[in-house]
Amino acid sequence: MKNFITIGLPSKGRLKEKAIAFFDKNDLKVLQSKKERNYFSTIQNRSNVKIIYLHAKEIIQRLGDGTLDIGISGLDLLNESGKNLQEKISIKQKLDFGNANLVVAVPDDWIDVQTIADLEEVAFDIRSKRNTRLRVATKYPNLTNSFLISKGVTQYKIISSLGATETYPFIGSSEIITDITSTGKTLEDNSLRVLKDGLILKSTACLFVAKKKAAKLQPFLNSLR
Amino acid sequence: MKSKKLSEQIIKTFKSNGFVLSEPDVLLDSEYIIQRSGENFRRSMLTFEDEEGKVMCLRPDLTVASCIKFLETKSKSKIYYSGQAYRRKNKKGSDLVNDQLGIEILGSKNQLQDEFKIIKTILRSAEKIKSKKIQIKVGDISLFKRLINSLDMPERWKLRLIRHFWRPSYFEELLDRLDKNSDIDSVTFDIDKKRFYEMKNMEQDKIIAGRSVSEILKRFDKKIKDPRSFTEGKKIARIIKSFLKINCKLSQLDTSLLKFIKDNNLKQNIFKEFKSIQNLKRLNKEVIFITNFGRNIEYYTGIVFEIYSGQKEIARGGRYDDLLKSLGAKKNIPAVGAAINLNNI
Repeated sequence: MKNFITIGLPSKGRLKEKAIAFFDKNDLKVLQSKKERNYFSTIQNRSNVKIIYLHAKEIIQRLGDGTLDIGISGLDLLNESGKNLQEKISIKQKLDFGNANLVVAVPDDWIDVQTIADLEEVAFDIRSKRNTRLRVATKYPNLTNSFLISKGVTQYKIISSLGATETYPFIGSSEIITDITSTGKTLEDNSLRVLKDGLILKSTACLFVAKKKAAKLQPFLNSLR
Repeated sequence: MKSKKLSEQIIKTFKSNGFVLSEPDVLLDSEYIIQRSGENFRRSMLTFEDEEGKVMCLRPDLTVASCIKFLETKSKSKIYYSGQAYRRKNKKGSDLVNDQLGIEILGSKNQLQDEFKIIKTILRSAEKIKSKKIQIKVGDISLFKRLINSLDMPERWKLRLIRHFWRPSYFEELLDRLDKNSDIDSVTFDIDKKRFYEMKNMEQDKIIAGRSVSEILKRFDKKIKDPRSFTEGKKIARIIKSFLKINCKLSQLDTSLLKFIKDNNLKQNIFKEFKSIQNLKRLNKEVIFITNFGRNIEYYTGIVFEIYSGQKEIARGGRYDDLLKSLGAKKNIPAVGAAINLNNI
C-alpha cells in the first residue's frame, strides 16, 4: 500500500475536537466510528487515509518510528522529546489552537523573586546556606534544563512530575515549578506566579510530518490549507 | 601502541617528580555529583540505575573522581592518574571516551611553590615527547575577582559577575544589562511592597516552599536598599571589557596592568601582591598572559594555563580551591593540577 497515509490525532478533549475541525475545514470529513471508544477512524471519500487516536505524546513517538505519517500534537511535546526523535519530524504548519506557554512559576509569597536573575540568586543562597539545591518540579525536564542553564541558573535539581505539579511547592516536594499553562488560572488558583522573564516556550498545536515520508505525502499535504 | 609508550614516558616523569598513582573509582554516585555540582553536569554524564535503584555514572572527569577518592580514603595528596573518563558527546566529533593523564596536588600548602611544581612537571614531560617550540598561555581568575571587588557597584552585581565569569556568553548578556541599566523592575514593585507589610505581620518562621517568611522579607528588604540601578553601569561595563582585552607577554605584565589601572583611574593597589603569574618568569619560557582565559571550566579559582607545542594544545591545568569543599570536604582544601592532552600528542 504505497499511497496509504496514516494520521495520528489526539484522543481526547479540546485538542481532539479542534484537530477534527481542522480537517473538516479542509473538506476532509473525519468519520466517527459507531463505537464511541474505538481508536480508529477514516475520512470520507479518502479510502487511502487511516486515522488513529492516540495520546498527544504518543503521536510524537509514533511519527518518529514511522507508524504515523502525519500527526497533530503540541510543539511543547516535540521540543521536549529527544534529539534523535526531533530530527525525524518536521513542522508542516503551526495551527491556531492549543496555545499554551511553558513557564517558570514561584509561590506568590516569594515577593523577592520577580525575575530569573532573582531566582539565580536565591538558588545560590539555598546552596550556600543549606548545602542543598533549589528543586524544580516539571513535566518538561529537557526544556527546563536548557532554559535555566542558558539563563545562568545552575544550582538546582529537577524533580520529575507526572501531574498536579502546581501542588509540589506546598507539599514539600519542590520549591518552584515549570508548567504548561494556557490561561494561567490553575497557577493563580494554586498561589503561584509566573516570573517576569520566565517564558520558556510559546507552544501551539502543530501539523507534524514524518520527514522520511515527506515525498509521498506531498500531494495530500498540498491539499491542506 | 605509540600512545602507550608515550604515556609510559610521561608517567615516568610524574613519578620521578614525586607524584604517586591514584586509582579513582570508575563508577560514581551520580546524585552525589549532581547534588554538589548542579544540573549542568548531568548532561555530560553517562548514567544508569544499579540493581538497588541507585543512579550511578561513569566518571566524567578524573580530577573530580580523584578528589572524591581523596576525600573518601585520605589518599596521598600529591598524585597522578592515568585512565579513561567518559562523557556524553555534546557536539559532533567529540569523543565518548577520553584518555586522561594528569597530576594534582590536593591540600597544597605552599601555593606558589605547588603551582610552579605542577607547571614545571608538566613542561618536563611535554618537552620529552615534543620537540616543537613550547609556548605557555596563562590567566588568573582571582585577578578578575580583585578588579570586580574594587569597583563601585551594588554587591549583588559583583557576586553575579563573579559567579558567571566562566560562562562567557551569559556574561556578555550581563554586561549588556549593566551597560543599559535594565535590571530594574518597578512595575510590580508597589504590589510587592504592599504584600511586604502584610507578610511582616505573619509568623516569621512560617515556611513557604522551603523558605521562611523572614528569609524572604530579609532579601526583599536588601533588594530595596541595594540600589537596583546605578549611574556608573556604563563606565563599569567598559572597564570590565577593556580588562578582558589584556593580552601580553609575561615580560610586559607589570606595565600592561599599570597602564590599565591608570587609563581607568582605578586604585593603585588592586593587583598588588599578585605573584602567581610573575612567578612563572623563573621558567624562562615564552609565556603569554591573557585575562580573557580559562573561562570554560567552572571550578578554576586562580591561575589557569595551557601549554602549546607549535599550534597544538598539549596540556592544561590550574588552581581549583573550592572543588574539594563542594564535593563534601569540611574545610577549604586548596588544590592545583594539570592534565596532558594525549589526543594532540
